[in-house]
Amino acid sequence: MKSLKTGILSLLVAAPLALAGCGNDGADGGGGGASEDASTGAKTGAFTYVISSDPTSLNPINTGDRWGLTFANIVYQPLARIDGATGEQELDLAESIEASEDGLAVTVKLKPDLKFSDGEALTAADVVFTYNIKAVKDNGNADLLWVRDKPITATAVDDLTVRFDLPYYSAAALSNIATETFILPEHIYGAETDFSGSELAEYIGSGPYTLTEYKRGEYLEFAANPLYSGGQPSIEKLVLRIVSNADTVKAALQTGEVDASYVVPAQLADLEGSPVGIYPYPEGRVAYLGVVTPKVDLKLRQALFFSLDRTQIAKAAWLEEKNYQYAYSILPPSNPYATTDLEKYDIDVDKAKALVAESGVADPTLKLGYDGSDPQQQAEAAVIQSEAQAAGITVELVSLDGGTVFDEIEKGVDSAVDLFLGGYIMGIDPDAYSLLFRTDASANYFSYSNPAVDKLFDDGVAAADQSARKAVYAELQAKIADDAVFFAIADNLKIIAINDRIGGIDQAKLVSIYTFEKFGSLTEK
Amino acid sequence: MLIYTAKRLAGAIPLLLAVSMVVFGAMHLAPYDVIDSFARPDMTQEQEDRLRQRYGLDRPVPIQYLNWLAGVLRGNFGYSLVSQHSIADDLATKIPNSITLVAPAYLLALAIAIVLGLVAGANRGRPLDTAIDTGNAIGISLPTFWFALLVIYLFGYHLRWFPIIGMHSVGQTDLPDLARHLAMPCLVLTVAFFPDLARYVRSSTISQLGEDYVTVQRAFGASTSAIFRRHVSRHVLAPIITQVGLALPMLVTGAVITETIFAWPGVGKYFLDAVHQMDYPVVMAVLLLSSALVVVGNLLADILYRVADPRVRLTGAAA
Repeated sequence: MKSLKTGILSLLVAAPLALAGCGNDGADGGGGGASEDASTGAKTGAFTYVISSDPTSLNPINTGDRWGLTFANIVYQPLARIDGATGEQELDLAESIEASEDGLAVTVKLKPDLKFSDGEALTAADVVFTYNIKAVKDNGNADLLWVRDKPITATAVDDLTVRFDLPYYSAAALSNIATETFILPEHIYGAETDFSGSELAEYIGSGPYTLTEYKRGEYLEFAANPLYSGGQPSIEKLVLRIVSNADTVKAALQTGEVDASYVVPAQLADLEGSPVGIYPYPEGRVAYLGVVTPKVDLKLRQALFFSLDRTQIAKAAWLEEKNYQYAYSILPPSNPYATTDLEKYDIDVDKAKALVAESGVADPTLKLGYDGSDPQQQAEAAVIQSEAQAAGITVELVSLDGGTVFDEIEKGVDSAVDLFLGGYIMGIDPDAYSLLFRTDASANYFSYSNPAVDKLFDDGVAAADQSARKAVYAELQAKIADDAVFFAIADNLKIIAINDRIGGIDQAKLVSIYTFEKFGSLTEK
Repeated sequence: MLIYTAKRLAGAIPLLLAVSMVVFGAMHLAPYDVIDSFARPDMTQEQEDRLRQRYGLDRPVPIQYLNWLAGVLRGNFGYSLVSQHSIADDLATKIPNSITLVAPAYLLALAIAIVLGLVAGANRGRPLDTAIDTGNAIGISLPTFWFALLVIYLFGYHLRWFPIIGMHSVGQTDLPDLARHLAMPCLVLTVAFFPDLARYVRSSTISQLGEDYVTVQRAFGASTSAIFRRHVSRHVLAPIITQVGLALPMLVTGAVITETIFAWPGVGKYFLDAVHQMDYPVVMAVLLLSSALVVVGNLLADILYRVADPRVRLTGAAA
């Protein structure tokens, strides 16, 4: 996984933050077209899934990388999840989750007869234990369990009931509590005091599989957990195989040596004729062209945006329309709060030219910084350069090394570049996007500041119900669009290739970060 | 000989120090560091600073270097900043994996090179020589990653003879399984290693054939094969010993690309990942190890050469 700053900053709503590397190793290579049927067909009793590197942390309390979270989601279970498409809550360990009228207390009832894989019962005490250690700031992942300056507290009412008390009302905190915290057994970890490390002594959870062997740099092997609340998984063994080279992965998919992996659009043609199904799905990523706002006049920013044709940019980067969905706002198109009622900056070269003239900048020249090792960004940059030229704006391309792009733009006014390419996954809850666009926020790469927008972010969290929130965030998206901070290009779909012998993909559900929401629902055909 | 060895080893210390300083300095010239590689967007500057402080990254570079050096002198290579794993432990599992891959490939390459080199040298200028030489030239210019993909396509995908990924099938550690996984990467490495060696043997053979002793043997009516068996091959093999000594560091870092492509859990892949993540303690440990092996390998080559060739010993004594 590349560094976060190379491209995607990804932050699940209610969630542990997940960094998703762009993972675009040169996808083209030797071993071309499939010439024979590669299906192994037979049941092997195992599902082998490729991951690109060792998980950075196996500790479910603080893990934040894609593969660490994948691991946590296999071995452990949260109380509930948020559906990436609808924003609705789906219960997992919880039987019901109810908020009090004033929104300051949340009562969670657990399903009866829950068990950890070692046979011990999973009770309210375990839930309280988990939330208490996660809320400890030193353990490194407490932010979502705090509202302003105070933590959310958990108390066990009885064996199956937990009450959470919020210090202040927060629309976002409700889902923060319910989701993405993986419940640990107190009887195993109770004596542990420090959860800031990247490993635990053992991994006992209630998830669909239990870890049986971990060979660093090679694989993680799991066995089905017969006590899983969703029923014993039908595939006995699950293997996460660590392979970083994209060409190797492609060949292994073709031969059936591995069953599934993420792939990039350029590999799809080679996989045709192989016994693998291709499943593109939105991850809620926004790929964008950003502006270091203090460095570029507003009229010139708008002129630049009007000179661009997002269809051409997206096509250059992701080849075919089925690989992406156009994005127009700071929220990805699949987000339930996303609006299209805003300035979309559909291409209008005459308007762009007029705006250049209005800006009063003669022969405008802008420097565009991008990650030169990422073929998709290379393609985007080249198209942007030629399109802007048509409106009389010269864009100079500055190819930078991965992490240095964001180090450079963080210098704000002193930055050597005016524009940059990036992408982020921030999840469902629109408040998470305040990290990018609020004045002085930690990931405000745009050096953007608009008090009206800051106020709207405050209003959005305080809003009483969803329709009120929707209205606030619609206004907010429109404001940011008018300020021409950010030119949204597309949500490039995540593409996973899965061997045809594997079934149950709809039930297992493809989701962002974890790949499969429920690994336990996969079957062998 | 003992004194000579001790002197050489002592002389290597400043060299290793210099290497470590240059590498350390270069890594810290980069505009970002390991914290950037795993920091999350929600982290405040304060949190990042706290992490930097914890790893000593907030200190001046020379102080960081001295701290690192003090650790190494106590035999402590430290921990990976990314995984928090003991580097010594990681290397203890990865070095044998790399040797398992590189050693057979190198020995195979050496055997092929000796045969081809002698044959080419003996047939200098003839079609056979040209053919071998052309083969060597192609071998030298083949990019390893490309050749590896061809091998995967042919033997892994098309013929389905060998598995593509890793060193073992999941959960298996037996020898036949290892051999099946070893076949393709070993082939790739053998092809990467042998052309250079073969050229070396060939040129050495040619120069030996011009020596007076060969003329004398011919004059006595010895057959070409007898000349080769009894005389030329021995003279040619002596300098090969030095090549073997020089190859010592390759055992550890000789297969970076091949390991990455075949997902072989060796030092090369470990090193490459660490470079990507700016995990400097790992990079430093591997580089120090490999430069130490270069020094030891050179020394070994010199010593073996002295043992094998009395003339060197005499010159050394005279000097």
